[in-house]
Amino acid sequence: MLKRLETYLEEISHFLSGREEREEILSEIRSHILEKAEQEFGQVTESSLDKVIEAYGPARRVAEKYLDGHEIIAPAYRRYLFRYTALLFAIHCLVSVAAAVFKESFIFFPVLYVPSMSPFEVLFYLPTAFLFDLGVVTLVLYLITQSKKEVRLPWPKISIDLDEVRPPGATVGRVFGLIAMTIVTGLALYLYLRHGTIFFVNFGSASRQPLLIPEAGQWYSLLLIGLFALSTIGLAVKLVNASPWVDAVEKALSLVLIGLAFRQPFDTALAVPLPEAVLRTIKYGVTVSLLVLSAFIAFDLVKALVRIGRKRLAK
Amino acid sequence: MDAEIGNFETEMNRGFLQILVLALLEKDMYGYAMVRTVRDLGYELEENTLYPLLRRLEKNGWIKSQWDVSQDRPRKFYGITGTGRSLRTQLLEIWKKQDRILKQLIKEK
Repeated sequence: MLKRLETYLEEISHFLSGREEREEILSEIRSHILEKAEQEFGQVTESSLDKVIEAYGPARRVAEKYLDGHEIIAPAYRRYLFRYTALLFAIHCLVSVAAAVFKESFIFFPVLYVPSMSPFEVLFYLPTAFLFDLGVVTLVLYLITQSKKEVRLPWPKISIDLDEVRPPGATVGRVFGLIAMTIVTGLALYLYLRHGTIFFVNFGSASRQPLLIPEAGQWYSLLLIGLFALSTIGLAVKLVNASPWVDAVEKALSLVLIGLAFRQPFDTALAVPLPEAVLRTIKYGVTVSLLVLSAFIAFDLVKALVRIGRKRLAK
Repeated sequence: MDAEIGNFETEMNRGFLQILVLALLEKDMYGYAMVRTVRDLGYELEENTLYPLLRRLEKNGWIKSQWDVSQDRPRKFYGITGTGRSLRTQLLEIWKKQDRILKQLIKEK
């Protein structure tokens, strides 16, 4: 007969795991339930216990009332969870790109270890890095919360405050941007379909010729058209739905395309013979440009992730 | 609207319950007897809220408790302490002041 009561107490005990006074709490509840069943229903029966237990409330809710004030992260520090994760992840992104370009490992013990990897591996490494960053920040905020000290956490005032980023409305600028990007994407697509590449030397003259060998020309052309198309689609979707998810998906896919650009060997890509020094300069210029572009896109991706995180937190 | 009133009531109850329990425990009582006494006065005390509250009050030294095992069924009796009485006096003063302010404001309107 008391099996129902013991099962209920066991459920509460499960949710109270770790509390020193668990046995005492369970004794209080047991005593109350038996007392109430007898006083209000005449005697302790399976049916009376069922009614009293139901009125007492679900086990988890009962246990949570004892856990009030035992927060993992104090409310004052919760907003820092996404602020710091975004900042750490942005640093992680930059170091990861540097690790791929310079073929070097970077270690800032114990918060950052980025092994030397190919650009393609970076794309698989970054989601893991994000989870790690989230974990590190959570751990630090947890320890601060448990210390019960009034710690004033710093937050840099940079030109674009990640915390204050708000999605702009469907402005006239966005419409113009969409028109411009549609024209650029259309032109690039037209050139590619007509010539198999969009990179030329002396484009305006009769001596026009492809800048890259056919295979590389195709590869880089398709990647650039893909980036243009992504931007165009992103702008179009944002006119009807300014969700940060649109930005996040667009920026993530853009990073994938830029990552793919690094896969093509650049040394043998040029169709035009160039002196070694000039070739080196061009290669360096392209690499730096792609890195800067990646950094901007990664920063936008982090902003979108912060906005998504803040929306979820607000809910 | 009902849900909003419910939320307000929960907020208001937080402070009220503490004074209520401290006022009740002038005489030693066990949990279920407290629920019954308050119910007879027309107020429904949530059982699963009462015990965590008693635990917090006891931790702060405002009430004390003792198991009575002399009967068939063990019962935990709670009673107010000296510091609890002093706290109750101060809380009642605050409550009276708040009540006076509200009454005055309503009368003015």
